[in-house]
Amino acid sequence: MSTQEQRERIELLQGTLDLLILRTLLLGPTHGHAIAKAIEMRSEDVLQVEQGSLYPALHRLIKRGWISVQEGTSENNRRAKFYRLTARGRRQLVVETSKWDKLAGAIARILRPAEQEGKS
Amino acid sequence: MSRRKRMMEHLEQDIRDFIERETQDNIERGMSPEEARYAALRKFGNVTRVKEETREVWSLVWLEQFWQDVRFGLRGLHKNPGFTTIAVLTLALGIGANTAIFSLIDAVMLKKLPVKSPQELVQLTAVGPYGVSSFSYPGYQRYRNENHVCSDMLAIGWLNRLEASVDGQAESLEGRIVSGNFFTLLGVGAIAGRTFTSQDETMLQHNAVAVISYAYWQRRFGFDPSIVGRNITLNRTVFTIVGVTPAGFSGPEIGYSPDIYVPMTMEPAFHDKPSWLDQPDFHWLRIMGRLKPGVGQEQGRADLEVIHRRVLADIPSKGWAPADYQQLLSQRLEVESAASGIVFGLPKELSLTLSILMAMAGLVLLITCANLANLLLGRASVRQEEIAVRLAIGAGRFRLVRQLLTESAVLAIGAGAIGLICARWAGDAIVLLLSVGRAPLFLDLRPDPRILAFTGAAAVLATMLFGLAPALRGTQLDLNPVLKASAVRLGARRSHRGLGSGLVVSQVGLSLVLLFGAGLLVRTLENLETLDPGFDRKDVLLFDVDPTKGGYEGPAVTRLYEQVLEHIVTIPGVRSASLSMMVPITGGGGIDNSVWVEGYTPRPNENMTVYVNVVGPRYFETLGMPLLLGRDFSSRDTETTTQVAVINRTMARYFFGNDNPIGRKFGWYGEDKNRTQFEIVGVVKDSKYETLREQVPRTIYLDCFQRTIGPMTAEVRASINPAAVISQLRNEIRAVNASISVGGFSTLEEHVDDSLGHERLMATLSGLFAGLAVLLACVGLYGVMAFAVARRTNEIGIRMALGADRAQILGLILGESGRLMAVGVAIGLPVALVAARLISGQLYGLKPADPLTMAGAVLLLAGVAALAGYIPARRATKVDPMVALKYE
Repeated sequence: MSTQEQRERIELLQGTLDLLILRTLLLGPTHGHAIAKAIEMRSEDVLQVEQGSLYPALHRLIKRGWISVQEGTSENNRRAKFYRLTARGRRQLVVETSKWDKLAGAIARILRPAEQEGKS
Repeated sequence: MSRRKRMMEHLEQDIRDFIERETQDNIERGMSPEEARYAALRKFGNVTRVKEETREVWSLVWLEQFWQDVRFGLRGLHKNPGFTTIAVLTLALGIGANTAIFSLIDAVMLKKLPVKSPQELVQLTAVGPYGVSSFSYPGYQRYRNENHVCSDMLAIGWLNRLEASVDGQAESLEGRIVSGNFFTLLGVGAIAGRTFTSQDETMLQHNAVAVISYAYWQRRFGFDPSIVGRNITLNRTVFTIVGVTPAGFSGPEIGYSPDIYVPMTMEPAFHDKPSWLDQPDFHWLRIMGRLKPGVGQEQGRADLEVIHRRVLADIPSKGWAPADYQQLLSQRLEVESAASGIVFGLPKELSLTLSILMAMAGLVLLITCANLANLLLGRASVRQEEIAVRLAIGAGRFRLVRQLLTESAVLAIGAGAIGLICARWAGDAIVLLLSVGRAPLFLDLRPDPRILAFTGAAAVLATMLFGLAPALRGTQLDLNPVLKASAVRLGARRSHRGLGSGLVVSQVGLSLVLLFGAGLLVRTLENLETLDPGFDRKDVLLFDVDPTKGGYEGPAVTRLYEQVLEHIVTIPGVRSASLSMMVPITGGGGIDNSVWVEGYTPRPNENMTVYVNVVGPRYFETLGMPLLLGRDFSSRDTETTTQVAVINRTMARYFFGNDNPIGRKFGWYGEDKNRTQFEIVGVVKDSKYETLREQVPRTIYLDCFQRTIGPMTAEVRASINPAAVISQLRNEIRAVNASISVGGFSTLEEHVDDSLGHERLMATLSGLFAGLAVLLACVGLYGVMAFAVARRTNEIGIRMALGADRAQILGLILGESGRLMAVGVAIGLPVALVAARLISGQLYGLKPADPLTMAGAVLLLAGVAALAGYIPARRATKVDPMVALKYE
C-alpha cells in the first residue's frame, strides 16, 4: 500500500483529514481541487494536503455515506465532480469535532506545563 | 461492481479536473503553460498509486490483487521449472506425510460413526488390575434392563474362525453376533430387506437369519438384487440373509469392518455347549449404550456402577482361584464416549504410535520449510534488482511482501494438492503394514472435511514458515547500493547469509532428532527380529486343520489327527510334524489358568496363573525346543492313562526351585483333585508365549491326545522349502479323509514377523522420515556453502595468490560447513535425548540414551554433511586466482 514513512504520515493525518474534509464541505458542495485548496488556505498553508491521501479519504467518506459525489457544472461552466455533505455526514462532523476538541484539549493539558508560552 | 466502476470514473474525471485547475492556477502565478502542467503533475504525485489506493477503499481490491499475484507467481514459477519442481516435490512430501498420518489419526480417533447421534453413544469397559475385560450375556441383560441412564444398550461379540459357504464355495468371514436391538439403537436401516428387531432376540435358536454388509454384498454377490432370502451356511448352520446395511456403515468397532451379523440367540450354532448365553462368568461381549438426553458420562457411570456390583455378585465363586476371584470383584466399570466407535485392543496402542509418527512427520515438515526458505532466500537475492526497482518506483513494501507470500502460497497449495493424493495411498500402505496376520485392519481413510482442513492448515502454516522470512528479508533493501548494480552482490548477501546459516543449523538439529529416533526404532526392530524366542522359527510350516467339519466327534477326531500326522511325516522333506491349540507369539489372547501345585503352599492372594498350550507328541522337536529333563508325550499317553504335562523351565524354577519336578503333580485351581490331576513328565526350554517383548511366563503343555479337541493348528518342520510340501500335504490329508478341512497356510517365521507389524511400521516410517530429513538438510547445507564459496571467490583468489595451497582452501571451506554442522548437532543432541525418552515405551533391548545409536546418528549426519560441503569446497580449490581477482 505504501512505504513505511508515508504510512506513518497518513496514520497521523487520517482522522484529521476526514474531519477537515467534512468541515470544508459544510460550506457547500465543491470539487477535489477546491477542497485541497480550501484546507491549505484556511490553515494558512501550514497543512499541505497530499493527493495520495485526499482521494482515498474522499472515497472512504463516500463509502461510509458521509458525503456523496455528483456531476455538476463549475463556476466557468465546466463539468466537474462535486462532493456534498450528507445528513449523516453532518451528524458525523459534530461527533468528529467534539472528539477532536477532546483530543486537542487533552494534548494541550499535557503540553502546557512544559511549554509555558503555549496559549491556545 | 458497477458502483465501484462508477466511482473509479468519478475519480478519474476529478483527478483530471484537479490537474487542470492546478495548471490553471500555476499559469495565473505566471508560469508558462508547459511548466505549469509539469508543476501540477509533480504536485499531484503518483497518479496510478492514488488511483490504486482509492480503489482499495472500494474493497475487493485485495481479491483482484490476489489474482494478479497468483498469475504473476505462476508465471514466475513457470520460468524456474527447476526451483518449482524441487520446491513442490519436497513440500508435497512434507505435507503428504503429515496428511497421511493425520488421516489415520482421524480414522482412529476423530471420525464419528456414521450413525444416529453418535455423540450420545458410550462404551462400557470393566477395568481390573490385569487390564480390561468384556461382559457376559447375563451381565449385559442386567445393565440393559436395570439402568436409568441409557435409552438402550447393545451387545456385540466376535464369531471366531467363521467359515461361510454360499453355493458350495467356502471362505472365511469377519462375523459379529449382536443383540436384537443392535441396528435400531444405532439408527442404521437396511438398504435392502430388513435389519434385526427385538423379536430376533426372543426367538430362541430357530431364527437363523443374517444381515450382511454392503461391502460383502458387493464383493461376494455383485449387488445381486435378489439377495434377500438367499441362503448362506455359517459353520454348519444354514442362515437366511434378510438384509443389507448401507454403504457407509462398517460396524461400531474402530479398525474392523464385519461382513455379516447374526442375532444373539443363534449363539449355540457357533459354540459347543454349554451355551455362552447362560454363563455369568464368561466374558465375551462388548457393550455400547445410548445415553438419555441430558445425561453425562459421569452420571451414567455412577448409575451403571451400582448394577456392575450386582452383576459381579451374580458370579459364583466356585471354580475361581481366590486371587482371581478377588481381582474379578475389584473390577471398576468405566463409561467412555464411543462417538468414534468401540475401542478394542489395537486402536489404543495405535493412537500412541500415531501420535509419535505425527510428531515425526511434523518435524519433517519443519525441515522441509527450512529448506524451502533457504531456496527462496537464494531466489530473493537473484530478484533483488527487480524488487529494488519496484520499491523505487513506489511499490509498497507490504504489497510486495504480500505478493511474495502469495507466490509461496501457490507453491504450498500445489504441494498440498499433490500431498493429499499421495497421502491417500500412503495411508493405505500404512494400514497394510499394520494389518497383522489374517485379520486386515479396516480404517476409513476417505478424505473428509477435517482432513482437507488439516492439509489446508498445513499448507498455510508451511507458507508462513518458509515464505515469510525470505519475503520480509527480500523487501528490506537499502535501495541505493542495490540499484548501483555492481554493489548488489555485496550488500544484500551478508544479511541473507546469517538467516541461511540459521536455517541450515536448525535443519541439521532437527535431522539429528529424527535420525536418532529412527535409529532407536530400527535397532529395536532388529533386536526383536534377532532375539531368540526359545524356538527355531526357520522352516516350519503352519496350517489350520479341522476334522470336525465331517461331523466327527471325540475319539474319532483324535484318531483322524493321529492318522494325519502319520501320513504327513512320510512326505519327503518333512522332518517332523505336530499339533497345537495355540501358536506361539499370537500377540495376546493366550490361555491362562490358576493352578495348585503339589508340595507348594501359595501365599494368600499369590498369583498362581500359568499359561497353557495343548500340543501333540513331537511338538517340541518340531519347533526346535530342547527338552531339558524327562520325556516328550508319546503314543502310550492316551485318554485312559495318567494325565501328563510338560512344563517350561521358568515354571519348574518357580515352583520347585532346584528340585526335580519330574513326577510331581498339579491341577486346576478349584477343581476336584481326584478328577483332574496332571503329572509332570518333562521340562522344556523356555520360549516366548504371547509376544516377543514379554518375560517368558510360567507355561505348561498338555497332551492333545489325552483330551477332546476341535480345530487345531498343525506344525510341520521341513528340511526343504516348507512351501514346496503344501500340495503333497493336501493330498496326504485328503487321503486320510476328504472331509478334513485344511487351510490358512503360513510359516512360523511369517507368523512371528507378523507380530512385529507395529515395530516394522515405526522403523520403516521413522527411517523414511529421517532419510528425507537428512537429505533435505544436506541440500540446505550444500546451498549455503555453494553460496559462501561464490561470495568468497575474490577472497579465495587473494589467498591463493598469496600462496595458500588447495588443501588449505579445502580446509577453509570444509571448516565452515563443519562449524554449521557442529552447531546443529549441539542444538539437536539434547532435544534428541528428550524426544527419545518420550518414545522409551516403544524400545526393546536398548536405553533411550543409547550411546551407540547416538554416535551412529551423529557420524552418519557428519559424513553426509561433509559430502555436501565437499562439493563446493572442491569448487573453491579450482578457483583461478587471476579470474578471481578480476571478479567484481
